[in-house]
Amino acid sequence: MAERRKFKKRYCRYCEQKVDFIDYKDLQMLKFSLSERYKIMPRRLTGNCKKHQEMVTAAIKRARQTALIPYIVDRKRVVENPFELIK
Amino acid sequence: MNCYETLFVVKPTLTAEEIEGQIARVKAIIAEEGGELKATDDMGMRRLAYPIEKQERGYYTVVYYTAPAELVGELERQLRYNEEILRFMTVKYTNKKELAVFDKMVEAANKKPAAEKAEAPAAAQEEAPAESEAPAEEAAAEKSEA
Repeated sequence: MAERRKFKKRYCRYCEQKVDFIDYKDLQMLKFSLSERYKIMPRRLTGNCKKHQEMVTAAIKRARQTALIPYIVDRKRVVENPFELIK
Repeated sequence: MNCYETLFVVKPTLTAEEIEGQIARVKAIIAEEGGELKATDDMGMRRLAYPIEKQERGYYTVVYYTAPAELVGELERQLRYNEEILRFMTVKYTNKKELAVFDKMVEAANKKPAAEKAEAPAAAQEEAPAESEAPAEEAAAEKSEA
């Protein structure tokens, strides 16, 4: 529930900022749509619009391929502050 | 002629000059095959999100260029053969919105170099033994005293 409450107001953050294209190297942009375990957050929780969800999905997958963000964070490789590492 | 962006990761075990050499090689391939280099963005030594070929870190470089489509195949072939390259990815920018972003990124990358050059030697020094850093600090201290 706690997580859901975080996303209570549902509007597309990317629309608000008038984003035309999401660059996969821009990790700050992707961060919002990633869970703590680096899964792609679903639209029903983030409130992203379809257009931007598709963009962000493509960008996240590209970032994963280039080792900018991990594919998975499992129990063996849990880090305390996953987002700190990326910066 | 299309707009492309290629990101590649060089092995961290190489020396600074060798890394420069690898980057120069990629640029040479682009020039040879009739591409036009727009900008290069040195992201520097970064931690990889997961180990690749047992390496934990890598030297990231992005090149922006316009080129005929055949170039990409050739460039990727060469990158694949090159054992010093851990990972690479080419992205093509086609429609208007993407091209606008491409131009913006090229501009940003071109503006960056002044700041980047200051950072690059610093990153290189991290690789070097601590001895080389100590004199630098001393020199800085002396300067501040003087």
